[in-house]
Amino acid sequence: MLIVNELTENAAHEDPGHPERPERVGAVAAGIGSLHLGGDVVNVAPYRATRTELVRVHDGTYLDELGAYCYAGGGDLDEDTYATYDSWAIAQFAAGAGLAVVNEMTHRGEGVGFVAVRPPGHHAQRDRAMGFCLLNNVAVSAAALADRGERVLIVDWDVHHGNGTQSMFWNDPRVLYVSTHQWPLFPGTGVAQEVGGLDAVNRTINIPVPPGSTGDTLVRALDEVAAPVIDEFDPTWVLVSAGYDAHRADPMGDLLLTSGDFARLARRVREVVPAPGRLALFLEGGYNLEALRTSVAATLGTLLDAPFDAAPPSSGGAGEDVATRVREQRRVALELARAARTSGEDA
Amino acid sequence: MTTIRTIAVGFDGSPDSEVALVWALDLAGPLGARVVAVHARGLLSRLEGWNSREMESIVARLAHEHGVADGDASVRVEEGDACSVLVRCSQAPVNADVLVVGSRGEGKHPGLLLGSTSLELAQRAEVALVIVPGERDAASV
Repeated sequence: MLIVNELTENAAHEDPGHPERPERVGAVAAGIGSLHLGGDVVNVAPYRATRTELVRVHDGTYLDELGAYCYAGGGDLDEDTYATYDSWAIAQFAAGAGLAVVNEMTHRGEGVGFVAVRPPGHHAQRDRAMGFCLLNNVAVSAAALADRGERVLIVDWDVHHGNGTQSMFWNDPRVLYVSTHQWPLFPGTGVAQEVGGLDAVNRTINIPVPPGSTGDTLVRALDEVAAPVIDEFDPTWVLVSAGYDAHRADPMGDLLLTSGDFARLARRVREVVPAPGRLALFLEGGYNLEALRTSVAATLGTLLDAPFDAAPPSSGGAGEDVATRVREQRRVALELARAARTSGEDA
Repeated sequence: MTTIRTIAVGFDGSPDSEVALVWALDLAGPLGARVVAVHARGLLSRLEGWNSREMESIVARLAHEHGVADGDASVRVEEGDACSVLVRCSQAPVNADVLVVGSRGEGKHPGLLLGSTSLELAQRAEVALVIVPGERDAASV
């Protein structure tokens, strides 16, 4: 069963010519439609995330400022990120859509959740918009789950590092953040040595891969670097920052993934979901509409055991040594972090 | 006493950033310091066919005009938002002793607090920060 928010393009949040555009949601809808799920789809009405729900991860001052800026007419927030008069309300509904999907899944105790909203969220930081993102949708849901006592794994396979999500949970042992991303690339964060704050050592796993990397590199690194930590963390919920700009046809990155690679990544994620109704994916990037359509279909087709068409998974690209290199860099960083924590406790 | 060996200046090609670059070059000359003009590349820049050659030629010309040796002025391009990139410049490999920025970058709304690189830098910078008023700011004082 697919539990998905009511898909709306939110055309009132648009900057003509900008790649983060309303048609992206249409591409997602087409991808879901291609699976012919029939009555196996539950549409969940989003609601406007409340201030209480948002301040778990965002500063109240930022929320006030963003709202006021939008109601004053909006404009460019930085060289990448825009807001319109309607963006504040749309962003609140985007964050609320995630909460609504998670609540519905909790109530049903089954299904796979997909939150297809825009603007995306994983670059949004506690106190600022960034990288097309206004509110951090996946983080709002993760924080809500963590406050209910859940141990939340966030897997972020967007081509860009989710710097906002990482920073929000940097020192929070209730959340394990795992990111595969191209490096170097915007936003410039996400090196392997970032392993979490002193209260959450080993709760951040970054797997930066070089341009030209193929799907096999990401999967191998997830298996060799992330899987043991995930096993130990033993998540009770899994959220995915599902960006599709690592696809080879996407203009925003230089990785060489195919739609078939997203099926492969989805299989890996499914293996660590602890129980039915405990996996929800959040749309992040993905700017080539055809790649987005086919990759969403491959992801959800895999998770729902529905037939789908996908290109063969990619292999043989750059970054053969990524898993080894990341493991070694993390080993050193973890030793330093644990020593720092011990010396802090002794002081 | 702090010795200034390296000055990192935010440079996005805007008039205000050029004023900041000139200020940094004028400071560097007598100190024998090197100037690194730092350009942060955002998400959209990769869609715009941007290349660093024009920026390098501007920096080389201004360095020459302000008496800074060619080898002591360079351009560094990094992925990321302007504030984070400049904050990182205080660490290796740049190891900047001072950060210099104009009061407004390209694409910012005057008076807008959100997204203001200079104001955010004032909170996050790990070394001394100089905010150089742009021509309009200076004229209005």
